Amino acid sequence: MSAAVLYAAVVSYVATRQPSIAIVAALLGGVGALMLLFVLVREVDELLPWSLALVGIAYAIAILAHGSGVDEGAPLVGVALLLCAELATWSLDERWAIAAERAVVVARATALAVLALAGLGVGVLVLALAAAPVGGGLAWTVLGAAAAVLVVAIAARG
Amino acid sequence: MTRLDSPRLATYAGLAAVGLLAGLAVGRIELVALAAPFALAAVAGRALARNPQIEATVTVERERALEGDEVRVTVDLSSPTGADRVEVLLPLPEELRSLGSNPRAVMLRAETPRTLDYTLLCERWGAFVLGPVFVRAADRLGFHSWEMRIGHAQPLRVYPSVETLRALLEPLDTQVFVGNQLSRSRGDGIEFADIREWEPGDRVRSINWRASARRGELLVNEQHPERNTDVVLFLDTFADVHADGRGTLDLTVRAAASVAHRYLQRKDRVGVVSFGGYLSWLLPNSGTRQLYRIVDSLLQMGVVLSFAAKGIDVLPPRTLPPKALVLALSPLLDARSAAALLDLRARGFDLVVVEVSPVPFVRPGPGELARLSYRLWRLSREALRARYEQAGVPVVEWTDGEALNVVLEEVTAFRRYARPVRA
Repeated sequence: MSAAVLYAAVVSYVATRQPSIAIVAALLGGVGALMLLFVLVREVDELLPWSLALVGIAYAIAILAHGSGVDEGAPLVGVALLLCAELATWSLDERWAIAAERAVVVARATALAVLALAGLGVGVLVLALAAAPVGGGLAWTVLGAAAAVLVVAIAARG
Repeated sequence: MTRLDSPRLATYAGLAAVGLLAGLAVGRIELVALAAPFALAAVAGRALARNPQIEATVTVERERALEGDEVRVTVDLSSPTGADRVEVLLPLPEELRSLGSNPRAVMLRAETPRTLDYTLLCERWGAFVLGPVFVRAADRLGFHSWEMRIGHAQPLRVYPSVETLRALLEPLDTQVFVGNQLSRSRGDGIEFADIREWEPGDRVRSINWRASARRGELLVNEQHPERNTDVVLFLDTFADVHADGRGTLDLTVRAAASVAHRYLQRKDRVGVVSFGGYLSWLLPNSGTRQLYRIVDSLLQMGVVLSFAAKGIDVLPPRTLPPKALVLALSPLLDARSAAALLDLRARGFDLVVVEVSPVPFVRPGPGELARLSYRLWRLSREALRARYEQAGVPVVEWTDGEALNVVLEEVTAFRRYARPVRA
């Protein structure tokens, strides 16, 4: 339920971000929401990445259509989507009806909260660094691309 | 041990890669900020992974229990590194039910052992093995998990509950050993039998002085000696008809355990022949050890499909001692067991057949043809019973829910008036 609420909040935010493309955002978000419902109700967890990707695409279209201004809500959108994915996964884990003691539930909830806060911090840090007057150019682009590849490589190794 | 990585890690890494590259491509920092939490989750997931190296031991409170008993099982867990979520499943057969939750998830701290208690209700008899347990350890967010089977198997034997039998079938003949059964022959004993004339060699203490004084000649008392009997439980395991957790084999085992227990209590010798696809036997013997042997053999009993022709010739001669009472428990479904029983009777054995009725477990199918088939089947069973009765074999139908006492009383009543003819 919490995952669906978070997803709906993100879709609403994206749709209201740029009224000119609200229909496109709502369409993509609606399809993604249907997928998420399918994940939660029918336990088809393969659809979860597509659901997240669709709302991500809608957000990208919205900010591109919006123009040059930086959307300061981007870290919140990212954290909301991450929480949505984690809560949906937690919901799927509960289908096995394994009696978990309180400490296990508290530990997972705490870890999730820490992850969300850390994600929010990283997102804000990214926006802050982008606003810093350190110049630009090919070197920064190459450095950024290398950093992106490094992060993906580390994650993929796991 | 098997390590499993959650597909979320790949998803998060993929979404992070797409977001970062799209941000670089279109020059929008928002997409990088959007992807950053996913990248962080993917990296954190990798950093959190550590093998928990869990060890577990399974301990069963006792090896033997009765149906309806509760047995405590403990699972001791320990790990040098600890684990945030350890799911433990104790695999249980259908006959055992956990009164607590199973599986369960617990937190295991480093170097701090934990003990999980399970209370099992033994719902049905059988020989079981408990353990190893299935353990799945995962990190807090479930990005990585390790699955393993650990702990040694522990045996648990659940014996069938024994029905209290008020009376037993008395064999026609007794054996030569001392027991509680009054023999029809005459000899040394307690029970008075008759008076006869004194003969050289008779002991003075056996002279009946009062009768001798009245008759004017020496008369001695004769007694019935107390002897034991041999009983062979002939169990037909060719077929089993069951429904809703009850069946003919289940009833057979319960009855055999009850009868063996009661006969052994009164110092008789009891043997078992399991006549089915898999032939097994226990030579007649007496005592508590024999009771355990019999019950243990009953726990292993099952139906093994076989099309091999079998007669009683395949049995070793000592399994069916002369003058033994052969108590057959059979659903009378397989022609081989039906023929073997008639063969036993033809060889002069004191035979009683308790027909463990499969009828309550069979329902006629829908349609005229199915109902007709059912009626024909019932008629063929009656015809088979008539064949046994013609051969002088008492056959009693025992249906589920009926007390075994009633069945044995019925056989006793039959045998009171019908004696087998000896050739």
